[in-house]
Amino acid sequence: MQISTHELKSKIIESLKLQDITPEQIDDDAPLFGTGLGLDSIDALELVVLLEKEYGIVIKDIEEGRPAFRSVRTLADFIAVKRPQ
Amino acid sequence: MSEISVIATSTATAADLPTARLGQRFGRLDLQSQLALLAVASLNINFDELARDRIGICLAASAGSLSTDVNFWNGRNGVGGPSPTLFAYTLPSAAVGEVAIHFRLTGPNLCFVGDNKIILSEAADMLRRGEADACVCIFCEAVTPECGQIISVPPTATARAFFLKNDSEGTGTLAEFDRDIKALSAIIFPTQSAG
Repeated sequence: MQISTHELKSKIIESLKLQDITPEQIDDDAPLFGTGLGLDSIDALELVVLLEKEYGIVIKDIEEGRPAFRSVRTLADFIAVKRPQ
Repeated sequence: MSEISVIATSTATAADLPTARLGQRFGRLDLQSQLALLAVASLNINFDELARDRIGICLAASAGSLSTDVNFWNGRNGVGGPSPTLFAYTLPSAAVGEVAIHFRLTGPNLCFVGDNKIILSEAADMLRRGEADACVCIFCEAVTPECGQIISVPPTATARAFFLKNDSEGTGTLAEFDRDIKALSAIIFPTQSAG
């Protein structure tokens, strides 16, 4: 089941304890790392934990997960496919 | 003869944190790093007036990173394990790094666990040896309720910062060869000294 990007952005903000930013300010297609939201390697690990805690998705192969972390939209798509029914 | 002066002092407590605006990533820092960063920001020092590689940082953490260690330990049984972010702060010196990054200070740095007076003498020595022209000193007392329960001390969340400089125009001076740490501590930690 597809999750809304707004919901995912809210969870990212909460999980990463981002301050002074709202879901509306995050572009669905902007890069999560480097430019765009400007997340770093520690945030990446925190997002992996978020996927497991919130959606029951365990990423065992980092290469499998890498494309999913490009943007909020790719992450939402990844969750929709991998989420246990 | 050069003198070492206290140019500015400041204090940050847990009550100040909710209104602190020190960047988008401030929220992910551990309690000690938040307090340290806010205390240094509250010094209102214009670091541009000095070469940033000549500004040292000296931190004393009363309980090291114990509060963060306890948080990390307590998270081990949760789904997904403990927070990776917390892991980065299970070092007493993490707050030094956060201050250095935020204010782009690239001078020497020191970190001690325990007594606050040691940072005064060590920072003064750093300046006397010519390793830096100024030093940001921070004394953190960050003990969360969970940690306090384990080590039997009351919870506390305070950071005091002061800025030492090879200068004679500060609020208190430490003359060369004069290690009157007690007198200077009275300026920097007035309530503590009064007690």
